[in-house]
Amino acid sequence: MSVLLDHLPELWQGLLVTFQLTAASFLGAAVLGVLVTALRVSPVRVLRALGTAYVETFQNLPLLVLLVLAFFGLPEIGIKADLRVTAIAVIAVYEAAYIGEALRSGVNSVAKGQGEAARAIGLTFGQSLRHVILPQALRTVVQPIGNIFIALTMNTALAAAVGVVDLTAAANRVNLLEAQPIPIFVGAGAAYALIAACAGFVTGRLERRLAILR
Amino acid sequence: MVMKRLVAVVAVSLLGLAACGETSSPAVPGGEAKKDDVLAQAPVAAAADILPGSTMEKIKQRGELIVGGSLDAPLLSQQNPATGQVEGFDADLGKALAKYIIGQPKVKIVNSASETREALLANGTVDVVFQTYTITPERAKQVAFAGPYYTSGLTIAVKKGATGIAKPEDLNGKKVLAGANTPAIPAIKKFAPQAEIITFGSDPECLQALKQDRGVAYVQDETLLIADAKKDPSIQIVTKPFTVDPYGIGLKHGDDQFKTFTNAWLKKMQDAGAWQKIWKSSIGTVVVGEAPQPPQIGSVPGS
Repeated sequence: MSVLLDHLPELWQGLLVTFQLTAASFLGAAVLGVLVTALRVSPVRVLRALGTAYVETFQNLPLLVLLVLAFFGLPEIGIKADLRVTAIAVIAVYEAAYIGEALRSGVNSVAKGQGEAARAIGLTFGQSLRHVILPQALRTVVQPIGNIFIALTMNTALAAAVGVVDLTAAANRVNLLEAQPIPIFVGAGAAYALIAACAGFVTGRLERRLAILR
Repeated sequence: MVMKRLVAVVAVSLLGLAACGETSSPAVPGGEAKKDDVLAQAPVAAAADILPGSTMEKIKQRGELIVGGSLDAPLLSQQNPATGQVEGFDADLGKALAKYIIGQPKVKIVNSASETREALLANGTVDVVFQTYTITPERAKQVAFAGPYYTSGLTIAVKKGATGIAKPEDLNGKKVLAGANTPAIPAIKKFAPQAEIITFGSDPECLQALKQDRGVAYVQDETLLIADAKKDPSIQIVTKPFTVDPYGIGLKHGDDQFKTFTNAWLKKMQDAGAWQKIWKSSIGTVVVGEAPQPPQIGSVPGS
């Protein structure tokens, strides 16, 4: 236990980076995910194909492969950003595929008549999506999105492999010095579990508040 | 359009990785023919040394020594993708210890990491650890160390032509690359507390990052950096080693019998010239000159 207390500043710094990675990449993934859903349900075939290609590409590649490609491949063609920014961008792009799919299942759960009615009163595709479909779709997918948030939190640990000093990397460094892996990694694990538990609690509350009975 | 650009990026970056793989792919040190020769000189323990009920006897009965080690450390312990054999200084010493106990160099290498090796020793998953395991008093509370069997040190590499870094203190305030889970991290913190340390999992990744200016310097074990600088003329080494890292053989904490036994083996290896032979066939393929004087056994606090 004392190793954790002795190295609290380093571990805390790592935890802050994990928070940063989680929050920023979830935000990015949410925005991108809505766009991907819009593409996948759009009436234009080319756009639908584009959405499908995006989802298939990023769901079928391991995140670590994407991270390594972005960290070492992009600088070769002259694109180089800060390590943390690169990690956030890659995680956001990757998780957007999952959020897009979750949202699409929500869109499919909205009765067909809703979309037809929206069109009948003269709303454009964008308007019907924004005012009619998505507000209903989002309510049904609170729980899946919460799960994706938890998965995303765990996935941020992969950034440790490419040089970002998040909680996992910080724990690794402390262990290198102290050689007490069990208390150190149990401590780090507890911090991740706490984040996941908070996310689960919040999504549970949200779902109860937002659910519509049909 | 977006897709096209994405495909182009992926293709180009794959090419980039493939290209760098060519230049920095670690040549497998030491020839196959030399290997058997090296172990031929290694001693075998007298039957009386294998005390009944001891760890040594258990290993002998099992017919295999279980070693915790790396599979990706060039010159020290690296798996040859062509033969599947693990080769290098640490790996060969492990085989020599197996030969000493069992009579044949039969080892099973369990890929351990610095997060797991104390636990692997404590719960008996592995018998010994040969993995650039620097002896420190903190670690000696968790495991027993035989040896030291080798002394190495950290040094600094920069891109060729870079100026302003001549000693470890010059790293203050700069971005410094290091291998994750290497002793370089605490060493940099000690000599240059204001340095920003960026870590990557493997040596080729660190080199690539140095060449892409992710950091201005790369701190790593001297042997590795010498090998890197030989293969890649775009980097250079700027200092003599600035730390002394005595590598020990990790054993289960409190197993004094096995520790005495292992130390006796190490002494015999050095006296017979087998230690020097193994050095010559691994680290000696990149470091010029004769094998160094092996460190005094038990000379380090914690050993």
